[in-house]
Amino acid sequence: MLATSEEGARPARLDRDRGLVEAARRDPRCFDALYRKYLAQVYSYAFYELRDHHAAEDATERVFMQALAGLPRFEERVDAFIASRPVTAASGVASDLADISTFRVWLFRIARNVVANERRSDRRRPVSPLDDAIGLHAPDDVAETAAAREAGSAAWQAVARLPEDRRRAVILRFVDEMSTAEIAAVLGRSEGAVRVLLHRALRSVAQDLRRQLS
Amino acid sequence: MLGRATRNARRTERYLDGLVAADERRAAEMPVDTATDPAIRLATRQLRAGLVRVHPSFRFEEALAARLAAAADRLKAGLPAELPQAPVAGGTLAAFRGVDAAGAVVDAAGAVVDAAAAESVASATVVRGLPDVAAHPRRPLIVGGVGVASAAISLGAVYVAWRHSHPTSGRRRSGVINEILGVVS
Repeated sequence: MLATSEEGARPARLDRDRGLVEAARRDPRCFDALYRKYLAQVYSYAFYELRDHHAAEDATERVFMQALAGLPRFEERVDAFIASRPVTAASGVASDLADISTFRVWLFRIARNVVANERRSDRRRPVSPLDDAIGLHAPDDVAETAAAREAGSAAWQAVARLPEDRRRAVILRFVDEMSTAEIAAVLGRSEGAVRVLLHRALRSVAQDLRRQLS
Repeated sequence: MLGRATRNARRTERYLDGLVAADERRAAEMPVDTATDPAIRLATRQLRAGLVRVHPSFRFEEALAARLAAAADRLKAGLPAELPQAPVAGGTLAAFRGVDAAGAVVDAAGAVVDAAAAESVASATVVRGLPDVAAHPRRPLIVGGVGVASAAISLGAVYVAWRHSHPTSGRRRSGVINEILGVVS
């Protein structure tokens, strides 16, 4: 969402979550709306990174507690790589920017740090309870869900074998459905670097899947 | 002049963006970009099917919401928001599958789950916080660690489970129905 500023020359960004963030800054109890909105996304990110429901819950709690405590210091601002993008109708960037939430980027930066700390501090990673979670299926469509289970398990195994930066980019893209700009902001990389990360990650996953199939 | 790697990366990005856009407009067919490397398309297809959004249990969601509300009260009173010393009570993996034709919660074998079990279902599912189901109807969602192939089945079971845990609050019940219908419409 964009609005033209008083000067008329530069459009001012209206963040997707601006209203919710401002309400929460006025009254911290309003943070609940942001929490409900982003709970599944943060939890999913933690879950795929930590591969354990309990560890993901712990991480999720820390993320939201830190976000709540840090909200007064949160300033809605545009990251350099996003701000540097030309905002013109012809470029099609405007619609892209309309979907960006600087709060979400900020929240996921917290999540990235929390999860990274968790991974460093806890070496006792289970083999892959995630497979069990994905593998549960509905009783009325056994064949379809068995195929889905196999696909999910193979996909996850391929992603789990990716280098850390590629894996994070894939999770943010496919699980949290972030744009390249958002992923770049979360990971602190340029958009070009994220594009290449994703492209190489997908090629690696494809090779891995072919090996698994053969 | 862009290098080959950059061109390929941009092509991949356009392909991925096209898939997301098709999802958002609920297009019947996914875009097919023949210029995109078939290996990329294969990996994308598998990842979109395999990497599903996961939702924590209802019990965890509500417990953390309560802790955040308490921390918010402290902040409002000018006190520091105490960071948690211990994790909130975690959810359990419930053997929750769906609902039968009569609307009863059934387990993996199709047997009707009793009231106590249904209450545990309430702790492993969620009423609020499912905006992505509506936005991306094709993406499966795992609730509380349990795979649920259909959002509609899940939401129906959520309501049944909620009724088990809130037997007397009729007014709230209609609110929940509206909330669920709001999510799926």
